Amino acid sequence: MANLVGAFAASHGPIIARDWETMAKDHRNRLAAGFDEIGRRLKACRPDLLVVISPDHWVNFFISNLPAVCIGIGEEHDGPPEPFMQKVFPRERLKGHTAFGRHLLETALEHDFEPALSHRLKLDHGTCIPLWRIGVDTELPIVPIIVNDLEEPMPSIRRCLAWGRLLRQAIESYPEPLRVAVLGTGGLSHSIGEPTMGWIDEEFDHACIRHFTDGEEARLAAFLTEALPRTGNGAHEIRDWVVAHAAAGSKGFELIDYFPSPQTLVGAGFAAWRVAATP
Amino acid sequence: MTDYWVSKLFFDLQHDRKLAAEYRANMPAVLERYAIKPEIRKALIEDDVGKIAPLVNAYLLRFYFQIRGIPESEFIARLHALQAGKGKVDG
Repeated sequence: MANLVGAFAASHGPIIARDWETMAKDHRNRLAAGFDEIGRRLKACRPDLLVVISPDHWVNFFISNLPAVCIGIGEEHDGPPEPFMQKVFPRERLKGHTAFGRHLLETALEHDFEPALSHRLKLDHGTCIPLWRIGVDTELPIVPIIVNDLEEPMPSIRRCLAWGRLLRQAIESYPEPLRVAVLGTGGLSHSIGEPTMGWIDEEFDHACIRHFTDGEEARLAAFLTEALPRTGNGAHEIRDWVVAHAAAGSKGFELIDYFPSPQTLVGAGFAAWRVAATP
Repeated sequence: MTDYWVSKLFFDLQHDRKLAAEYRANMPAVLERYAIKPEIRKALIEDDVGKIAPLVNAYLLRFYFQIRGIPESEFIARLHALQAGKGKVDG
């Protein structure tokens, strides 16, 4: 069977790519240190496959057809279409993993989850900024899970936890001895295209971090369900962290770094979960 | 309230560089192809953030004003002027 060997979280934001070379050096160094530490730990896990949980920033989907969750099961995926990404991460193709993607999809359907599927996704900055900065091996296959974090109504936190448990079940029921790592991207708080744009809600971020560190699912879900409607819209991406949290067994994470990053408009967070054995 | 056709215009502009260039050169000609109400068309031509914001997803709004060539700092200032601290336009 396959094993979960690591679960990580990292923020993203277009300005990280757009202004990487021009932002203040100390700020860039702190962002780089967070990503580098994730990269170091990921490499130490020696993964055969990386499941990346991320939003879609209106690249694959539109309001004419907007899945709550979509699993990328293709042999390969397209690199980021955004011009600012192509300058820093000029990857036209990223390797997929059809066998695991399909197994995850089938496991989901067997357990009454109904995700959309895609044989070829465009992986936007949400996925590719962390991959770029972490320095992921170009040969490492990616299975993307796209969660609707952008347009209401969105999947409940309760459902995201269930998705995480399902992902873990799929990993552990996969017949080949794959080493699988998980990366949730996005968050922490930010506010995009709304009257509070630029607001970083540090109180929300610190509370989030406390709940993820503590690990307990019911308290995490209660907090996020109550708090998300009161903070900036970008914080909805925390759903991707919630999936990773439950996949890791909900035993808490180690915060690598957090700091408000007004230069990139995000509460920048980096973390690694304690991967608990399945009971 | 989401306006499908304004959203579709913004989505198309984000995906089609030729269309975005055409839009910059001749907005009315491009707007003719979308079933957008006259008062909203006027708001688009006038870059009226306050009238447009409630009609589209906030991320699409950001992309749109980038395509319009408005510096992000100015876009943020216009948003703040709407109702700073009073809450969100779109989730």
